[in-house]
Amino acid sequence: MKRRDFIKSSLSVAIAGALSGKAISSAFAAGPIKVGILIPLSGPAGLFGPSSQNCAQMAVDEINASGGILGRQIEPVFADVGGPPADATQAALKLWKGEKAEAFIGMHDSAVRGALTNLFKGQVPYIYTPVYEGGECAAGTYVIGETPDQQLAPVIPWLAKEKGAAKWYLIGNDYNWPRDTNAAAKGYIEASGGEVVGEEYLPFTADNFDSNLAKIKDTGANAVLITLVGGASVGFNRAFASFGLADSAIRLGTLIEENTLAGIGAENSKGLYSSAGYFASIDTPAAKAFAEAYAAKFGADAAALNSLGESCYEGVLLLSALAGKAQSLSASDIDAIAEGTTYEGPRGSATMSNRHVAKDIYLAEADGTAFKVVQTFANVDPGNNCG
Amino acid sequence: MAFSRAAKFTLAALLIAFPWLSDSFTAYQLGLYLLYGMVAQGIALCWGRTGFLPLGQALFFGIGAYLSGTALKADLGWALLLPAFAVACLVPALLAGFIGALVFNRQTGSGPYFSLITLALSMLGFQLANSLSGITGGFNGMTAIPGLPGVDTYETLYFVIVGVLVVSTLVLAHVMRAPFGQLLIAIRENEERLQFFGFRTSMLKAAAFAISGGVAGLAGVLYAPHQGIVTPQAVGFVLSAELLIWTAVGGRFGLIGPVAGTVLIGFMAAGLRDSFRYWEVAVALVFILVVLKMPGGISGLFSAALSRFGGGREIRGAGIAPAMLAGKEHRDEPDLRFDTVGVSMGPVRILNGLSFSISRSGIHCIIGPNGAGKTSALNVLTGRLPLGDGEISWRGVSLGNTRPFIAAQNGIGRKFQVPSIFPELSVRQNIEIALWANRIGTVEMFSMRPYGWTTQMLGELETRFPFLQQGDKTAGSLSVGQRQMLDFSMTVLAEPDLVLLDEPCAGLSTDETRQMIEAIAAIAGETKATFIIIEHDMQVVERLSDHVLVMHQGALLANGTMSEIRANADVARVYSGGSK
Amino acid sequence: MDLVVTYGLNFAYSTATLGLIVLGLAVVFGLLGVMNMAHGEFVMLGAYSALMVQQAGLPFVLAIPLAVVVCGALGWLMEWSVIRHLYRRPFDTFLATWGIAILMRKGVEVTFGREYQSVDQSLPGTVSLLGIDYPAYRLVLMAVIVTMFAALFVWYQRSNTGARIKAMVQNPDLAAAVGINTARLSRATFVTGVAIAGLAGVLLAPLVRVEPYMGLDYLLSSFFILVVGGLGTLEGLVTGSTIIGGADVVISAIFDKTAGYLGVLAISILFLWLRPDGIFSRR
Repeated sequence: MKRRDFIKSSLSVAIAGALSGKAISSAFAAGPIKVGILIPLSGPAGLFGPSSQNCAQMAVDEINASGGILGRQIEPVFADVGGPPADATQAALKLWKGEKAEAFIGMHDSAVRGALTNLFKGQVPYIYTPVYEGGECAAGTYVIGETPDQQLAPVIPWLAKEKGAAKWYLIGNDYNWPRDTNAAAKGYIEASGGEVVGEEYLPFTADNFDSNLAKIKDTGANAVLITLVGGASVGFNRAFASFGLADSAIRLGTLIEENTLAGIGAENSKGLYSSAGYFASIDTPAAKAFAEAYAAKFGADAAALNSLGESCYEGVLLLSALAGKAQSLSASDIDAIAEGTTYEGPRGSATMSNRHVAKDIYLAEADGTAFKVVQTFANVDPGNNCG
Repeated sequence: MAFSRAAKFTLAALLIAFPWLSDSFTAYQLGLYLLYGMVAQGIALCWGRTGFLPLGQALFFGIGAYLSGTALKADLGWALLLPAFAVACLVPALLAGFIGALVFNRQTGSGPYFSLITLALSMLGFQLANSLSGITGGFNGMTAIPGLPGVDTYETLYFVIVGVLVVSTLVLAHVMRAPFGQLLIAIRENEERLQFFGFRTSMLKAAAFAISGGVAGLAGVLYAPHQGIVTPQAVGFVLSAELLIWTAVGGRFGLIGPVAGTVLIGFMAAGLRDSFRYWEVAVALVFILVVLKMPGGISGLFSAALSRFGGGREIRGAGIAPAMLAGKEHRDEPDLRFDTVGVSMGPVRILNGLSFSISRSGIHCIIGPNGAGKTSALNVLTGRLPLGDGEISWRGVSLGNTRPFIAAQNGIGRKFQVPSIFPELSVRQNIEIALWANRIGTVEMFSMRPYGWTTQMLGELETRFPFLQQGDKTAGSLSVGQRQMLDFSMTVLAEPDLVLLDEPCAGLSTDETRQMIEAIAAIAGETKATFIIIEHDMQVVERLSDHVLVMHQGALLANGTMSEIRANADVARVYSGGSK
Repeated sequence: MDLVVTYGLNFAYSTATLGLIVLGLAVVFGLLGVMNMAHGEFVMLGAYSALMVQQAGLPFVLAIPLAVVVCGALGWLMEWSVIRHLYRRPFDTFLATWGIAILMRKGVEVTFGREYQSVDQSLPGTVSLLGIDYPAYRLVLMAVIVTMFAALFVWYQRSNTGARIKAMVQNPDLAAAVGINTARLSRATFVTGVAIAGLAGVLLAPLVRVEPYMGLDYLLSSFFILVVGGLGTLEGLVTGSTIIGGADVVISAIFDKTAGYLGVLAISILFLWLRPDGIFSRR
């Protein structure tokens, strides 16, 4: 329902824009650029859908208002990729081959990314925006999300030093992002003098965590690294606190953003940390301006801003910057100039380097249902991803 | 069949022309649903044709897809790829056959347990596909599967799919038209009766399930290059459920209906889901309506009830050479022994030390009051009741705790008191099945030749019971008397050595009774088979037989010629109601 | 020791909630023989009732009457429009109720969206029991379930209606002949069964994920429990819940959660194949 409204409103924006300004000639010459925006509207990650959709739409509207990309208006075409990778592939394929989308921005899980890079094979520009496990170097693919090198490498030693995190229990959903993230985490944990006392992976539909919680208790873990997604994370964190474990162990999540925290609830959020490149509450001029514009556009009741939703906004900005620099939307032209491309977003200035970007990383502690930044790590390198 | 030959050609031509009528990407998308349609055809073979419902058909589809994906990723080249694809069809086929054999051998009938087992297996497969990430790629799926060598996935693969669909449809249509397909309808109609003709129905059902598994595997083989990715959902429950709905709505009795349902609902849903939010709600309503009001689905609306159930009868017949089968001329002497046989059901003792033996051919009658255990004696002989104690043997073969089809294979034929026929099949088809009993081999089940079989005895029976010549009439529409005669004819056409008839004249008019008695006497005389007849009507007994066994309270009371029985004081006391 | 108590309580919790979920189906399938494939969807509707109450800012307890009314009314409608025509056609019942299940899933999807939602616990915090801290809500839930079962058992054994249901189950024709209105009694039994399922949904809502497809898990585990335990008796229901819940807890503790799930499936398949009439059958 929302998707249709958005398509409708974006169409009317595009038409209004086309009729009002200089864009007339080029718009009639080439028509709008269709950009496929792939976000989860269903399943466990469906929690991130509304804010992602809002942010992407906001970026599109702003770019269209200032003349579009290459003088053409952007027409966003949304697809739900909250399902399994095979379904997501079909949804993306429909936009690509059916609707003739010329570029893609994806905010979805890594399993879907793996399927999409194999589908696109570098034939169409594809910007992947959320946090992920690192190592993506496929042609035509550009990554702006946080890698473990950014999210964990500085954070785990800090937690060890400041909070005494020494015995770690790793729990995640059963696919490549949690497994690869944990593989990286083990290195950082050992380096910080800690040990891993348990590791377990659950299906997305899991909602009974009894055996895991019993094991956490039994192993005497005092820190839990959570790589569960959306709804699964909510369920786990609630159960974790309801068993009284929040008093004996801190929790660190790399995908716990404002909406997940709201689901977890204030009474279950004690000792919960999250690390990311963006929080709604960060205190920089660019971030504040973005948050104000968001609130003005979508109202106070809109889905809460968070790193995942905001990354969609950045994704559209990066696409605009890449196309502007290449003066083309062809994947090969863009791939030739991508290195060193810069754009200014709510997170500050970002520069493509080896298909990734360096960025400031924030470690925030849950305070009720809001995140309070407790430590900032400046300009953290994404690590060696395409070596 | 539901569709005329011209209509079928038109459909095939439309499918081939589709990329030009629409565009090649839409055709690519349609290709996926044609593959699902193939799986649905397999479901129709099991469900509509044979009467058992597989709920986890995606399991076989997904296994085929994973195997095909593995082969394609190994970059084998066509010479090795084709045998690999054959394996990818065979593995799911054998697995389905194995599961079917295990389950159906334990459970006769088509109850929900088989369905629930297949459902659970599909869930098990889904979980394993998720867990065994070394083989399947886990949740991420098996990715980067290349297309078929030399075939453009978005342009030409569609034609490969249409070609395979047409071929597999023709093969399935032949399977359904052949005697095997007719036997499957017989299973749906009256599985037990078929067992009494010596058919091991569990294996026939397992074979049908294996074929459906193989077809699903074949669709999976093409699914892998079509999608370029195979995820656990390909073996999962949700896909299985959707396949079932498409089959039901399209029509589960034929082969075109399932594909039509898949394309109409599945393919159109992919397009309409975005513009019409309530599409899936509407589909669910249609599905409920189909279950309640139109079991034949959409294609059932298009075809007459007869062709819906009969399945291609009118196409056959012409062009099949009649073959006169030899009757059984030389029969050994009978040797049936009941030795202190006891049977209990719960606390009730049904047979209580029943002993007798029969070593002379001809007609033997069993009489006795209600509840004497007459029918139970025949039931335990043919494996319908478990033997408690004692021993039963027929020509030296022990038949204690046997099963109906084994008894039948040992030359024991049986006719029940209530006529037991295949009501939705025609008279001719009923007779054909009887002619095939103990004669048809596995290979012949897939050849059209057995439709030409006939015997001397069939000619004689057609003279005695002229209605048998109205071959196209549905057996279910016959009168009770005619059904008795049909059942009797079928029993003797199988040419058993030992014929068990349970009140063959029940429900017959005086005239019909006379016809029946004459027929029994004549056939018994010609074939030198041994007849055991349960009969209440003393006049009938007197006219048929000179050897009478009297049963009372689960045991033999008397045994001798009719006049000896009349003179027996025990028998007189039982029949006068004195002993209770 | 603490670990043993934790696992013990988890086992008790798991068995009790399974029993609660299966109870509604045991009434509908065990007594009426209706293979209600929409059973899980009534559990889902119960959970969504709790969600609606929460979203409206009302106290959690109000979800109970809401769920009972919603599920009861839908159950009545379903019995009247579909089920009563199919009492002697089990295969069609199976398919038709499945269609209804899809209808309910899609209806909820259109209304509430497909994403996972969660219901707040009205009773947060832990209680110290046998030396460990255990969630208070779970303890209360277990107590409620045990009380419910006891009350139901006594009612079914003692009450007039219970006796009439038993008569109808054993011989519907005879029951009708002696003046029992079997049509009305069947409908009341069916409505009761699905209302119990809705109630189970409300009680479990704070502990599970709430989404349109959640019912599927509950449907299957319910069927497996009924197959393992056998139909029609409370003992069978409790035994089935214990075996399925116990297998899950024990295997999950020794290996992992996935192994627990696979173990439950394997046990269910073996029962369906070898002992479809339950563990107590002598087949």
